[in-house]
Amino acid sequence: MKILTTVKKVVDVELNIHVESGAIVEDGLQYVINAWDENAVEAAVVLKENNGAETTLVSLGGGDMTDIIRKCYAMGIDNGIHVDDPALEKADSSVYAKVLQKVYETGEYDLIITGKQAQDTDSGQTGIMLAEYLSIPCVSNVIEIQVVDDGNIKVSRLGDAGTEIVEVALPAVVTVSDSINEPRLPAMRGIMMAKKKKIETTDLAGLGTSYDEVGGNALKSEVVEFMKSETRQAGQKFEGDAAELAVKVVDLLANEAKVL
Amino acid sequence: MDFDLTKEQEMIRKEVRKFALKEIDPIAGELDEKEAFSEELTQKMGEIGLFGMFVSEEYDGQGMDYISYIIAVEEIARIDGSQAATIAAGNSLGIGPIYYFGTEEQKQKYLPGLCSGEGLWGFGLTEPTAGSDAGGSKTTAVQDGDEWVINGSKIFITNAASDMTMGVTVQAITGTRDNGKPEYSCFLVESGTPGFKAVPMHNKLMWRASNTAELYFDDVRVPKENILGNKGDGFHQMLKTLDGGRLSIGAMGLGGAQGAYDLALKYAREREQFGQPISKFQAVAFKLADSAMEIECARNVLYKACWLKDQKRPFEKEAAMGKLYASEVMSRVADHAVQIHGGYGLMKEYKVERFYRDQKLLEIGEGTSEVQRIVISRYIGC
Repeated sequence: MKILTTVKKVVDVELNIHVESGAIVEDGLQYVINAWDENAVEAAVVLKENNGAETTLVSLGGGDMTDIIRKCYAMGIDNGIHVDDPALEKADSSVYAKVLQKVYETGEYDLIITGKQAQDTDSGQTGIMLAEYLSIPCVSNVIEIQVVDDGNIKVSRLGDAGTEIVEVALPAVVTVSDSINEPRLPAMRGIMMAKKKKIETTDLAGLGTSYDEVGGNALKSEVVEFMKSETRQAGQKFEGDAAELAVKVVDLLANEAKVL
Repeated sequence: MDFDLTKEQEMIRKEVRKFALKEIDPIAGELDEKEAFSEELTQKMGEIGLFGMFVSEEYDGQGMDYISYIIAVEEIARIDGSQAATIAAGNSLGIGPIYYFGTEEQKQKYLPGLCSGEGLWGFGLTEPTAGSDAGGSKTTAVQDGDEWVINGSKIFITNAASDMTMGVTVQAITGTRDNGKPEYSCFLVESGTPGFKAVPMHNKLMWRASNTAELYFDDVRVPKENILGNKGDGFHQMLKTLDGGRLSIGAMGLGGAQGAYDLALKYAREREQFGQPISKFQAVAFKLADSAMEIECARNVLYKACWLKDQKRPFEKEAAMGKLYASEVMSRVADHAVQIHGGYGLMKEYKVERFYRDQKLLEIGEGTSEVQRIVISRYIGC
């Protein structure tokens, strides 16, 4: 089985983000792997360990992706492709999906595993759009993947009311929830071996396409302004007589928090 | 000049930090309180590759440079001194002598099991009556046909009495040199060898979740091929081992200082007195500023010593400086950190008291601060 996983580099939100004139200030930002994509990588590596598979990771976007791809190598991914094209800076989910379609077509993969969404945009579109462009099935919010045979997998997906068990024919796209696994910490030897592995770098022309062809000049959506979330206020702690406190808390809930 | 770490070294720092926060931090206090060595945690540390870090891959090591190893010890020590001690002693004292001085057969036999973290190995040097005066040790080994017969005892030996311990390296007198001084050789003694007994030591002030042992050798017979390297090389092997070991103790001082400082800074920013966070008071802010400065200096001297070692250049003076300075920095930083915590700093529910206790060993173990000053003074021509 050949598995393709996708990894997006997102801003590390644990560090302070500064916003000026409706845009994030790029200076001093640090990037990490999108957490859901890390689940996708782990799921691919687990399938490889249990069933035997060749795992390939693709990462889109300009800039240095070496750290992120090497970390995935250290976790057990076999091959890494970086589509390094500055034109992708402003890309939306549809453009990403079109580029991934081109990557898929060069490699004849059986299964594509992506995170169900990215931490930065939370749009959750790319994997589903990719399946649509490829005219193959897609199962989203998956929490378990089992291989049935060479041509079929059985997956569990988390719905509102319960868990659905879906059998799906390959090739297919699966987008995974963070409940599917706990990504491993790479072992030291994996980190050292990752250093020796090659990262294949290409661009849109290398994939036989152009920014215009993947829809970059006709974006379906565009971020026009970014507003930072309000910082959460610290909670209040009350001490004293229980009866008096109850009155006070009810008053605050009704008149200050306005939740009653 | 380049102060940047490589991408691998940065990744090692990041991943070891995550491991320490996830696996060690939640249980470090309880293990310390119960004075419990955790086999399970040691095996987990083995699984992610914290043993045999500087050992080449042919012996199942991780094939890293020395600075990567030191960064890993630093990151573990940032969370817990006991686990850092298991790693530092396991690598520098357990694995190091076999890797650097062992025969090919010895390396093939012992290193894979030690590098995977399945087993631990102790290094028996200190004796009840021979600490700083390592030349005053009394343990002897006498050749009898195809065997060596070892008699004597050792004390304060890390990793030597756990259920995972596979054996110890022991230094013993094997004769007299031409100058009349004793001749030393080192021997590999496997756990379970008749006459060899390892007894855990308890009621420690610090490193309470690490394994510490007294070793007894009562007519212990080992085959002659269990001698480490050549007869008479023991003193040289011990000095070389301690040179490398100093870097890992330095890393424990650096990491421990960073951990205590992190706790103090967080507390000082949250704790309010007189209507503002105490970090805004100069008396507290200056303690934190001094701590940050000293940690930065300790990191620079220690990393430079590691860099020299990785470049295969002389590093012994810098290793002594790194060990001495980082351990004394941790002493001052932990002291500030407890002072900043006030009364809470004296309570076991606050982690900072463990750092305060754990630091004391660093000024005593693997060459006291006084011995480090002797080493440095000799290098500068005193």
